[in-house]
Amino acid sequence: MRVTKGAKIAAGSALLALGVAACGGGGGSSSGGGSGNPRAATGTVYIRGCEPQTGFVPGNINETCGGTINDFVYSKLVKYNSDTAAPELDQAASIDTTDNKVWTIKLKPGLKWTDGTPVTAKNYVDAWNYTAYSPNAQLGASWFADIVGFDKVNTADPDGPDGPKEAPKPETDKLSGLEVVDDLTFKVTLTAPVAVFRTKLGYSTFGALPEAFFKDPKGFASNPITNGPFKFVKWDHNSQIVVAANPDYAGAEKPKVKQIVYKMYKDDDAAYADLLSNNLDFTELVPPSALAGDKWKSDLGDRAIEGKQGTIQTLSFPLYDKEFGGNADFRKAISLAIDRKTITDKIFNKGRVPLDSWTSPIVDGYKAGQCGEFCAYDPAKAKEFLTKAKSEGYTPPKEFPIWYNGDSAHKEWVDAAANSINQALGADAGFTVVGKAMPTFDEFRSTITEHKIKGAFRTGWQMDYPHIEDFLNPLVKTGASSNDGLYSNKDLDAKLHEADTATDPAQSIALYQQAEAILAQDLPTIPLWSYGLQAGTSKWVTGVKVTPFGVLDPLSIAIKEA
Amino acid sequence: MGRYTIRRLLQLIPVLLGTTFLINYMVWQLPGDPFAGRCGQRPCPDAYVNAMRAQFGLDQPVLVQYWNFLKNMLTGNLGVDFNQVPVATSLADAWPITIRLAILAVAIEAVIGIGAGVLSGLKRGGVIDNAVTLSTLVLLSLPVFVTGFLLQWLLGVQLQIVNPTVSDEATVSELLVPAFVLASLNMAFTARLTRTSIVENLRADYVRTAIAKGLTNRRVVGVHLLRNSLIPVLTFLGTEVGGLMAGAIITEGIFNIHGIGGLLYRAIINQDFTIVVPVAALLVLVYLITNLLVDLLYGVLDPRIRYE
Repeated sequence: MRVTKGAKIAAGSALLALGVAACGGGGGSSSGGGSGNPRAATGTVYIRGCEPQTGFVPGNINETCGGTINDFVYSKLVKYNSDTAAPELDQAASIDTTDNKVWTIKLKPGLKWTDGTPVTAKNYVDAWNYTAYSPNAQLGASWFADIVGFDKVNTADPDGPDGPKEAPKPETDKLSGLEVVDDLTFKVTLTAPVAVFRTKLGYSTFGALPEAFFKDPKGFASNPITNGPFKFVKWDHNSQIVVAANPDYAGAEKPKVKQIVYKMYKDDDAAYADLLSNNLDFTELVPPSALAGDKWKSDLGDRAIEGKQGTIQTLSFPLYDKEFGGNADFRKAISLAIDRKTITDKIFNKGRVPLDSWTSPIVDGYKAGQCGEFCAYDPAKAKEFLTKAKSEGYTPPKEFPIWYNGDSAHKEWVDAAANSINQALGADAGFTVVGKAMPTFDEFRSTITEHKIKGAFRTGWQMDYPHIEDFLNPLVKTGASSNDGLYSNKDLDAKLHEADTATDPAQSIALYQQAEAILAQDLPTIPLWSYGLQAGTSKWVTGVKVTPFGVLDPLSIAIKEA
Repeated sequence: MGRYTIRRLLQLIPVLLGTTFLINYMVWQLPGDPFAGRCGQRPCPDAYVNAMRAQFGLDQPVLVQYWNFLKNMLTGNLGVDFNQVPVATSLADAWPITIRLAILAVAIEAVIGIGAGVLSGLKRGGVIDNAVTLSTLVLLSLPVFVTGFLLQWLLGVQLQIVNPTVSDEATVSELLVPAFVLASLNMAFTARLTRTSIVENLRADYVRTAIAKGLTNRRVVGVHLLRNSLIPVLTFLGTEVGGLMAGAIITEGIFNIHGIGGLLYRAIINQDFTIVVPVAALLVLVYLITNLLVDLLYGVLDPRIRYE
């Protein structure tokens, strides 16, 4: 084998030669080390993006690709502080109420759309009416269900989308609970007191739309007129969206860059490679390959940003199913048998934090330890509860699956959790837990919403607004939209109602916390961990802040002085 | 040959009809509602699901849907995808990039693969032959994504002589590294195929005759030997053109190239048949046409092959 060495070198140098030839013509605009900051000349920064599913209509967005860039160009009544997640007035000058039922909202004077027209109370009322009106088929419609007259503008399909019947045409297209008082003031009447309404107003669905929208809603979606710190420039589908600083922006903090290019990547690794070589200025998705062994921290040094975001992972049970729903003690046994700390340490490299409440630690109203003893790893106690569950008459099936969607990275932790449970409960438990995948998220969610799932399943919740209410009402209230396990508890519902209608914010939060504590009796879902945040910047930018929603705060990013 | 070509072109029609119907049918059969996963953990509003189903004809039986698809294809009206973006513009943006990448890859395969194959075939057992055998072994055993990430990391991140990703313009010079990655596996196949073919034909009678006639070495190899040896290689390369276009998903992902592979991948994940079906139909067409071209080229290379 005397040629082995030579051959290897030959192969290696052939690869190199090609690479070198390749750079001859191409070469990066910014990849050369050189002096000076290439971003300074143009004032443009490049951030990781992805193709939005819907256009720039605030009431019709419900995914992060579109949501991120929409928040750059639209201002709402309220915005969330990038550091504390606390709601602050943005376009609103005041939001007043005495009973949490009738809200008077005053806008700041002198606010403008990018076409020069003023932002008025009518813009808000029209936009909300448009979103709520069911024939417009807007994704955000249900957000207005608290407002008086919603049932008159939004009719449900009597037999669901699959049935032959059609939804009747709504009586009117105006919510009677919305009233324009003058150019800058409008009044909102809710069907019942909602303590958290002020906080909700920062969610993108509660944005306004200019007059121009109603002339051509379709065209507007891809070429919007906006009122935020940035204005829309262009959208090359599947490639990039460009926004530029809005010179008329009235906010106290102005954009520090001239332009942001929202560059679309199909692959997190590609974005990360671009970040390492300073072709990309920001990504909030550090790929698993870089998280392993904290490689990203040594790669990026002081350009690495670590934080928390308002997303939690839970495990849900089909409580409607006798076989797989289990009883409370069985679910407690499962919860006690999951070694959250080891899984978050080993699989997520401490990128996620074990959770012992049903609320994300960063939101208003979070209280640690709500789950009590049941969210700590304790194999002995787990076995105890399993015996108890069996003595109460529940026999778990021989194979108990935990379902997840196979199109994103869940296999590792589900398998680890299943292992942890099996080991903790021992060989004589009488059943084994196995991780099972469904191919796509679509199929996974369809099976869950049709209540046909056979086994426990992963559920995640990304907050809509930073408040404990958002982790309870939509998830565990009887009949709530995302109550996947069909959990129902009268005490809990009563407590939630009490909290919703409380006028004092502090008291309301205390009531929500009491409601959350009730969950520990039944454990309808098992809290697992809350998401951390790993982001990185290029060497060209500075001051970058990431919001509690896990996205870039567009006002924070600035270009370094050369 | 003209009649043969026409007959083959006519055969395209039933094949295209059959494949597009199968693709339509399979997309229809996929479990899960394409609009159910669109709202994450929250259920989508009924009004939204109804409106989307009506817009894309999902409430119609599969045959009616297929008929509408055919009508739209023939009139050139591809409509919009689930994101309300015109399908035609998405395709028009993506195709040129993918075609450029595929042609570049085939060119690299052909030049390096055939070159290495001829050199090693002529000097069997020599240093070059062993070097080629070993280097092709390395390439064959490396999956495309390993080669891709390795080159991206080495040239893009460590040495910084190229950008790790390709810009939207996707110029030929930017595409060289991705094309090399895409070609790497087949380049090794081509080299080995050429080598075997050359070695076999070196012993053929006509080569001995040509040498006996006193022809120069260059003429023996360049005209007599190469022309005969290239037939299997050509078959391989021809079918690869279609394969490269469809199989560029991984390479396009690594280098963030906005081509057909990525478009198709995203559409499959979202069950967006408005993109999957036309792209698949176009890929079928590319396959059929390259196969036809390869068949016609046989006649040029070997006059003994006749068409009727």
